[in-house]
Amino acid sequence: MTRKEYLIKQKDEKGRKLFGIFPAQYPREILWAMNVVPVEIWDPPLKVSHANAHVQPYICSVVKLGLELILQGKCDDLDGFLFPHTCDSIQNLASIVYNYLGLEKPCYFFYHPKAPYRDSSRLYYLEQLKVLVSRMEKQLGPLDLSVLKQCIERGQQVASVLRDLYGLRARGELKASNSEFYQVIRQGEYFHPDDFLPLLEEFLAASKGQADSGPSVILSGILPNPMGILTFLDNLGIRVAYDDFMIGSRRLLIPPSDLPDPFEQLTESYFRMPPCTTRASPIAQRRDYLFNMIDDATGVKGVIFYMVKFCEPEWFDIPNLVDELKTREIPALVLEIELNQEFSGQVATRLEAFMEMIGI
Amino acid sequence: MAFWLHPKYYKTIQYYFMKDLGAPALFWINQKQKKRRTRRHSPYLGPPLQCARRLREIMTRHYYLARFAKSAKPVAWVTSGAPVELLHVFNFYTIYPENHGAICGSRRMGPELCNQAEREGYSQDLCSYARIDLGHLFSGKTPAGKLPKPDVLFCSNNICQTVLYWFKELSYYWHIPLILFDTPYNFLGIHEKDIQYMCSQFQEMIPELERISGHGFSLSRFQEIIGIARETSLTWGRVLETMKHSPAPMTIFEAFVHIAPIVSLRGLPVCLDYYRILLKELEERVEKGIAAIKNERRRLMWDNIAIWFKLRDWAELFAERGYNFVAATYTNAWAETIHHLNERHPFESMAKAYSLVILNNNLNHRLKLMEKIIQEYKIDGLVIHSDRSCKPYSIGQYGLKRLLTERLGIKSVLIESDMTDFRVYSEDQARINLEAFFEALEN
Ligand code: SF4
Ligand code: SF4
Repeated sequence: MTRKEYLIKQKDEKGRKLFGIFPAQYPREILWAMNVVPVEIWDPPLKVSHANAHVQPYICSVVKLGLELILQGKCDDLDGFLFPHTCDSIQNLASIVYNYLGLEKPCYFFYHPKAPYRDSSRLYYLEQLKVLVSRMEKQLGPLDLSVLKQCIERGQQVASVLRDLYGLRARGELKASNSEFYQVIRQGEYFHPDDFLPLLEEFLAASKGQADSGPSVILSGILPNPMGILTFLDNLGIRVAYDDFMIGSRRLLIPPSDLPDPFEQLTESYFRMPPCTTRASPIAQRRDYLFNMIDDATGVKGVIFYMVKFCEPEWFDIPNLVDELKTREIPALVLEIELNQEFSGQVATRLEAFMEMIGI
Repeated sequence: MAFWLHPKYYKTIQYYFMKDLGAPALFWINQKQKKRRTRRHSPYLGPPLQCARRLREIMTRHYYLARFAKSAKPVAWVTSGAPVELLHVFNFYTIYPENHGAICGSRRMGPELCNQAEREGYSQDLCSYARIDLGHLFSGKTPAGKLPKPDVLFCSNNICQTVLYWFKELSYYWHIPLILFDTPYNFLGIHEKDIQYMCSQFQEMIPELERISGHGFSLSRFQEIIGIARETSLTWGRVLETMKHSPAPMTIFEAFVHIAPIVSLRGLPVCLDYYRILLKELEERVEKGIAAIKNERRRLMWDNIAIWFKLRDWAELFAERGYNFVAATYTNAWAETIHHLNERHPFESMAKAYSLVILNNNLNHRLKLMEKIIQEYKIDGLVIHSDRSCKPYSIGQYGLKRLLTERLGIKSVLIESDMTDFRVYSEDQARINLEAFFEALEN
């Protein structure tokens, strides 16, 4: 079933609403509880044309592709949009969509605090959750707290299987190829958890088993696009042992919380998430997170930063992370990519040179 | 018995000596040398502002004294939109890397310093103020002599998230604290909960600032500083309003330069005094009919940060044709919201003043603001600087241009550039676009 077919089915058969969600951090459990399927918009397979009339050439392709999707009228089935306050580019994109495009669809905004180390941030985050709910209730009807609790529970089950999958993969105990792994976990970007959980469980059961005993790398950045990088590594017999992707471990490995209040539960989990540039996590935290991955996984030979061009939050951290890795004698490669472009010969050459350098 | 003074006190004595004697002496010598190298004055421009000398004196002194500030005073590096009034309570010496970036930009040092940062692995696509600053960090190069290493970094993301990523780097390199004033973006309005969040942050940062500075917080001092900042902002607003007069007594290119004190010294009496003098001079000019350019035929507005390396050239280029820039969203930013400051509600009013700034506001707000300025200042044409460095200022400009043309029929041109890094600026392309704009303005 295609993504579109799946989503139409959600609407027609399950009576669920569909919201287009821009990157990156948002409380998906609240949407599920309000009978909404969050449809994340990261890298729709389009060629940018219309969006060029709205944003400059020096804007990242996540923003351009998302805008293109709207401008090409491919969001007609959606019942609303949600824009988390991810970075300056998403912030202004949200305003373009809301203020300029005159779409007749509700737009919601979600500001998450950028100083996640103070009491005030926690309180504010919790209140922002409630503000979001009260705004959405006007469109979707009242939120049932017991349903929210069930959805949080469901989210924790999903996160728990994902943690198992990541753990097995890190230890080389998952047979699936890199491409298969990311194809499956990326379905969570639009699957309802009731469908995603069994899919993950099935995948886990089918893929459990010793991976080829090859070397491994860690991938960091926003997302693995073009997918060519994954097949390229597959062909070389290199396992992606762990990732620090924004679409990956940074958002998916939500730590559990057993606080009684659902909003507090969501807040606690959010503040215990892995570090992310879009939440302004200090560099030292990100460094330690990478080091932990390297220590926990088997056979890690290097780190590849797979960077979306013009992504300021990510690019600022790179020089220091590369230096820190050097101190641990972990080689790092920084690749700059535009989404949906062909996996270029130049990238392949650089990857090959890197592999040679690390003795693969 | 030997008499010892703690080294800190030597530093303090040295600092105050330089403040009262060294800096004025240096400025006097500089002025003497300047007189010998008299600059050609464009025949299309009116007489230069008398105040320019005082401005140079204030800013030279500020950067000169910075060399002696370390150990004599706590030093903070601050982003241009951060609520610096709070720092003055703790007696911080404040340095604004963005202002320093602008100085490097106008001295055409942008690419050289950016290059230094790029060699260390920073992408050429990052904001050039940040790259200049990091380039300075790695090379020590600066036209300002020497910048003191900060004790704390004070940042607000009300202008962009970039400053936060950038200051995170500085914090990491120097192992010094970064204090963030997090301002929720105004998608649909700033509400009570947002204000409470910002006020709580002030309460949380006060003990940190006390610890770093060694000074206690004083509410009355804070209120006094807020009063000065408010008055300064209002005076700066009146300075800009003199340009409503036709012909205008000042050009926006001059305002770009005269903005330095309100960015860097806001809340200090010297800053308020300066704008009072400037305002007086401009009012006298209006009275006497002294115009900033000889033959003001068209009135223009600027959007986004100045292109610092083109300031002089463009001042002449436009003046030659009788076009005067009389307004800019950029200069307006320091007049637009700081008047919200209110001594009686210092924290709440500060939260409001700083979270409602133009770059923390949705594009609808910017559109309305520009419409208002265009009407009030009787603007004939709009020059939009699409600044590769500054995403929050630039994303949305294509739509702004289109909507302003549709609604007001205003002529406009969009110039792709960067405020300091002239490697991404194409003189030929800019000329072609400007010629077409000039032609449209004449028709
Ligand atoms: S890729 Fe980077 S700049 Fe682009 S939307 Fe994502 S976080 Fe923002
Ligand atoms: S991104 Fe824009 S607002 Fe931020 S520091 Fe750079 S020029 Fe200033």
